[in-house]
Amino acid sequence: MRAPISWLKDYVDIKLPLKELMWKMTEIGLTTEVSEKIDGEEVLAIEVTPNRPDWLSVIGIAREISIIENSRLTLPALPEIPKKSANLPISVKVHPNLVGRYTGVTISNVFVKPSPSWMQNKLKLMGLRPINNLVDITNFVMFEMGIPIHVFDYDKFKNHKLKIELSKGGEGFTSVDGISYKLPANALVIKDENKVIDLCGIKGGKNSGISETTKNIFIHIPIYSPQTIRKTSQSIKLGSEASYIYERGPDLGGTQNVLKRVTSLVLKLAGGEVASEVIDIKKNDYLPTELALSLNKLEKVLGMNLPKDKVVKILKKLNLSPKEKKESIVCVIPTFRGDLKIEEDLIEEVARIYGYNDFPKTLPEGTTPRKKISHFFDPKFHNYLKNLMVSAGFNEIQTLSLTSEETIKKSQLNLETHIKIANPVSAEFKYLRTSLVPNLLSAVNLNKNENSLKLFELNKVYSGPIDDSREVYKLSAVTNSKEFRFIKGIVDLILEKLNIEDLNIKTTLIEKSLWHPLRSGVVEKGESMLGTFGKIHPQVTQNFEIDDNIWGFELEVSLLEKFAVDILFKPIPKYPPQIEDITLVVPKGIAISKVIQSTKSVSSKIADVQLKDVYKDSFTFRVWYQNPNKTLSDKEVEEVRKKILSEVKNKFKVNQKF
Amino acid sequence: MREEILNTKNSALAQILDSQNLPELDELRVGYLGRNGKLNNYFKDIKGLPTDKRKEVGNLLNDSKKAIEDALEKKGQSLTNSLVNEKSWFDLTIPGIIPEIGSLHPQTIVLREVLEIFKYLGYQVADGPEIERDHYNFEILNFPKDHPARDAQQTMFFDVNGTKFTPGELIPRTHTSAMQGRVMEKSTPPLRVIIPGRCFRYEQVDASHGVEFWQVEGFVVDKNVRLTDLFGTIEFVLKSLFGDKTKIKFATTFFPFVEPGVDAYIECTVCNGKGCSFCKKTGWSEIMPAGMIHPSVLSRSGIDTKVWGGFAFAIGLSRVVTLKYQIDDLRTLHTPDLRILKQF
Repeated sequence: MRAPISWLKDYVDIKLPLKELMWKMTEIGLTTEVSEKIDGEEVLAIEVTPNRPDWLSVIGIAREISIIENSRLTLPALPEIPKKSANLPISVKVHPNLVGRYTGVTISNVFVKPSPSWMQNKLKLMGLRPINNLVDITNFVMFEMGIPIHVFDYDKFKNHKLKIELSKGGEGFTSVDGISYKLPANALVIKDENKVIDLCGIKGGKNSGISETTKNIFIHIPIYSPQTIRKTSQSIKLGSEASYIYERGPDLGGTQNVLKRVTSLVLKLAGGEVASEVIDIKKNDYLPTELALSLNKLEKVLGMNLPKDKVVKILKKLNLSPKEKKESIVCVIPTFRGDLKIEEDLIEEVARIYGYNDFPKTLPEGTTPRKKISHFFDPKFHNYLKNLMVSAGFNEIQTLSLTSEETIKKSQLNLETHIKIANPVSAEFKYLRTSLVPNLLSAVNLNKNENSLKLFELNKVYSGPIDDSREVYKLSAVTNSKEFRFIKGIVDLILEKLNIEDLNIKTTLIEKSLWHPLRSGVVEKGESMLGTFGKIHPQVTQNFEIDDNIWGFELEVSLLEKFAVDILFKPIPKYPPQIEDITLVVPKGIAISKVIQSTKSVSSKIADVQLKDVYKDSFTFRVWYQNPNKTLSDKEVEEVRKKILSEVKNKFKVNQKF
Repeated sequence: MREEILNTKNSALAQILDSQNLPELDELRVGYLGRNGKLNNYFKDIKGLPTDKRKEVGNLLNDSKKAIEDALEKKGQSLTNSLVNEKSWFDLTIPGIIPEIGSLHPQTIVLREVLEIFKYLGYQVADGPEIERDHYNFEILNFPKDHPARDAQQTMFFDVNGTKFTPGELIPRTHTSAMQGRVMEKSTPPLRVIIPGRCFRYEQVDASHGVEFWQVEGFVVDKNVRLTDLFGTIEFVLKSLFGDKTKIKFATTFFPFVEPGVDAYIECTVCNGKGCSFCKKTGWSEIMPAGMIHPSVLSRSGIDTKVWGGFAFAIGLSRVVTLKYQIDDLRTLHTPDLRILKQF
């Protein structure tokens, strides 16, 4: 909502410097961060919240400023509408549930000409182009008082029995500005006989608009059902100043005054005579209502005691006619304050005018709740995994969950399992991702110059169908480090640190996937698949225009958490181990993990076996011999070593290398 | 034997004198004085000598041992001293070799800080669905269908073709406030809850808007929750995050699910209040919308408003990150460029 300072000054004295005024307005709820100089005049740009349609008017804003400035609000005079002295009969049949109030009058023998320059200037400051005196008056009063008005050329009506009804859908309609629309069903329209002359609350029709030759007019001030106007406006993507106000529910009690204001301006600026009784069709009388504010509750909610007279003073400033009772104050809510419905609304009124920044600050009393809440989440595990990845040299990235069909296809993922947005902002953001890896690959592309790239992300992925969707956290990483054992080492590190044992690894063997069919695999723990690791599919790396030696993994965080075993301290052995390296020649086709496993199980005197070095087909294993109860003798070690060598020879036909 | 011992002693003393470093010296100590050292072997041999010779050889061995020990001690001291008195050019200013470690994303760093602050205040963390129902995202929070209050949260919705859902019923949540109802209806007050998470809006992407952003929703439900508690909590949180000198101010605003409604601003961290492009030239940044929970939100979630009240707030996490590190473009946060990531 724009508000020119000069226009505001028609109703209220403004003494505060501009910047201070803007902050004070913001503080009490009229957020005003920006003002703009138009034609040398300062115009405030106010962000009006949807609960305050009364602030969509210069008077409404002036009313708040009068509280800030502590000065009197001077409203324009509202002369009574003269008795009819001509005869232009009109009748209107309204749809009672869709039109809360309908007020209007006809005026004969007006003279269409440009409006006076003071009015034109005001409209220009509001960003509107002046048209003629009649149209300008309706716009001027709408901005001034916050209720839309429309004026019709009376002589363009086929008959004078108007009816307001819902469109059937498909009717043609041309607006005053000459644009044609096909109406949707259930739009509120005004018809004379059978043609649509007005798209209610949004735009008037060209077929009934004011022209230079207009003589007789019908002025109407309807208040429509906000939801109906909003639905229509959204479905045909057409909005106007009027529809913006209607959606927010303007003052049902204010139409008579607006009609008085408009009529007096028409008679003054366009001449003519009142030619009908005032029509005023209303569902209710829309009288001010009473709302009580308990002082006890006020203090309880605010956390401070405001003296009763101070509260009364604030409520008076707000035009709420407070009446003091013993333990409460009863307010009279004017019809333009439809937002004041419950006691809490009055509490806010008192608090905001008292000044949020003048309140003391406290912290909640009461004890810390100890019962676990629903949806409880402990971030500890995520933190642990992230820390582990960072220690391993990986940089964390955070990317978007929304992705494109193109990215999904480039990644050789199944489009069908992706949850789809029906109204995407753009093709780039059309699906929810099912894997974190594609964005990691895009990141590899973005950092092409880095030769030792190590990236990870821990975030949610999503899978369909939408009516049975799943959201799970994954931990994924990629690296362009050429060696498989590097990425495998990270997976091993995670599983080892989490103490997860008895894992099973299976080759992927899927032709078309994100992963290489033969150089990647899944890690299983019992029935559960913890995740995938290995090489990215060459077609995928090609699609992402990156080096084909990209390795990565994707693990399901909740499963890692589920299978993680708490670490229990093992006492340090009292007797030192004997450590030696054994090099074996292992031909292709034999799984090293199996060799290690068999070696370990040869004797209880083997504390650990690790792969230390690989050179061609020679694998050097470091073996820790240990007896917890005594120092092993060379002879004992030799016995165990012999057992190891015979075991691997029997099982794998593997020999020691000398 | 006497001569042999003397020779051994002399060669030991000579070797000690010639030794170049402490490990070498240590080897000599073991070689001469160790359990299987040369001197020890002589001691073992004493047993085989005639009684009258034993004393003499014993004395000689003891003297030799003492002499070798003294020499070792003296040489050891001098070798240590020479290490201390190293006078050659040694450049302390040469850059060290920094080990290659990874980095946390700035948003992770800031989120951890936020959660730490709230842990101190006794809040529990909740996590919930991003694929949300209109009911929790809007209806329960007083955003009726076809109401302009929804305009502030332009919404995407999921394709629900072929399901029992009507279009618009399932949406990517527009705020983590959607979790208020979910947590409240299944938990028993008093409650102090914080919910970090990803949110989605139908927005054209630019420097200050994105289709996705992170928010931290928080709320308290208790018997005597006051507006001053909300002001105090906001101040505590923002000062913990941005420093004690941070200037904070409050303004009235409207969100359908709170009443009274509060907006909290901090003085722009980029220009210190002078006004810059970062803060739309106002000198202040809107950072933490809040308010007292609207009674109908509580009662819709099954909480008795005669007994319980509460406050709620939201922190724009992405906004805090950009303010904290003076990042002028929101898109920086999800650009995985190593030149950005390595700065944190």
